Amino acid sequence: MTDLPLSVNDADDLLAAEYVLGVLDLPERAAVDARLKRDPDFAARVVAWETRLEGLNDGYAEAPAPDLLPRIEARLFPTPSPPPTRSLPLLRWLSGMAFGAVLVILTLATLGPPSMLPVVVLATADNRLAYEVASMGDSLRITRIAGVPAVAGQVHELWVIAPDAAPVSLGLLEEDPLIVGYPTPPAGWVMAVSIEPEGGSPTGLPTGPVILTALVGG
Amino acid sequence: MDDPVADLIARCAAADRAAFRSLYHTTSMKLMGVLLRMLGERAEAEDALQEVYTRVWLRAGRYDPAKGRGMTWLIAVARNLAIDRLRARPQPSGDAEIETVADTAPRAEARLVAQGDARRVTECFETLEPDRAQAVRGAYLDGLSYLQLADRHGVPLNTMRTWLRRSLLKLRECLDQ
Repeated sequence: MTDLPLSVNDADDLLAAEYVLGVLDLPERAAVDARLKRDPDFAARVVAWETRLEGLNDGYAEAPAPDLLPRIEARLFPTPSPPPTRSLPLLRWLSGMAFGAVLVILTLATLGPPSMLPVVVLATADNRLAYEVASMGDSLRITRIAGVPAVAGQVHELWVIAPDAAPVSLGLLEEDPLIVGYPTPPAGWVMAVSIEPEGGSPTGLPTGPVILTALVGG
Repeated sequence: MDDPVADLIARCAAADRAAFRSLYHTTSMKLMGVLLRMLGERAEAEDALQEVYTRVWLRAGRYDPAKGRGMTWLIAVARNLAIDRLRARPQPSGDAEIETVADTAPRAEARLVAQGDARRVTECFETLEPDRAQAVRGAYLDGLSYLQLADRHGVPLNTMRTWLRRSLLKLRECLDQ
């Protein structure tokens, strides 16, 4: 059987349908995810297929779900907690971080909007790549202060990790600063940046190398 | 149109935590059903459920009630996560897993109640040849890949691809009427 002769419209529409059905492989899905962000017409095709096929959702029977809300809320809405006891080298590092944070606060107090509070700086040892995470109260702003975005086909993805919990993606770090509705993570949490395929991690967990990490310090 | 789920999602976008709790309590059984069916294992489905609601909170602002129902959007978030996880798994080596999945498909069809959208979809699926209709349903409900569908139906991969694409064009024609 030969492939169908398709117009450009039909080809795009079938790709959207295959994405909604779920038959594409991982690299193809990642390519579609990336396209969805920059191509509103294509995104509309995907939504149209989701709506066309929504009648199939009746085929999913309900299943008892445990109350996972406390765990979900603990990931989403961190409450400030006393800094955990840590080993001595880490404490020394933490106090260094706090000192650095104070310096940045002082700088921002004179130069920037008073509502921006630095949370952490994620930087390589040589400072060739660095992201600054600042809190605006109920959201975080992440700005690249050194280096360049990931190479074509890849993207830097930002993660927040509560103690003993799985990383939660906060979004993709591209050309512009990222603003995400998320409160200031409390001390003892870790923020990290990994390299992921275009469109971000397909699994919801870091799949590529973690290139930057920083402990949120009191 | 009255869509309480859409209202709750809109309130989540405005950082209303009480709405988020209501959303979880009213929709988590359906999403658990989706994840359990697609992922197969309870522990993984529960882990995915946490991830789904985390995404729902963080992405609520992107949901546009003018473009679709709240529940349809929630299920799309859950299905996309499940499909990504399925595709990230190593390909199954034997046929055992695929056979088990195949057994559940007819029951799924039986569950398609003849009401509203479901009836419309059922009518349109009846315009397809039965094995092709089953392939489209298997892809949607169970998250089967082209490779697994080709295996299950005993046809080459490219044939399955053409089957499915022709079926999708026919479905579009029927459903858009």
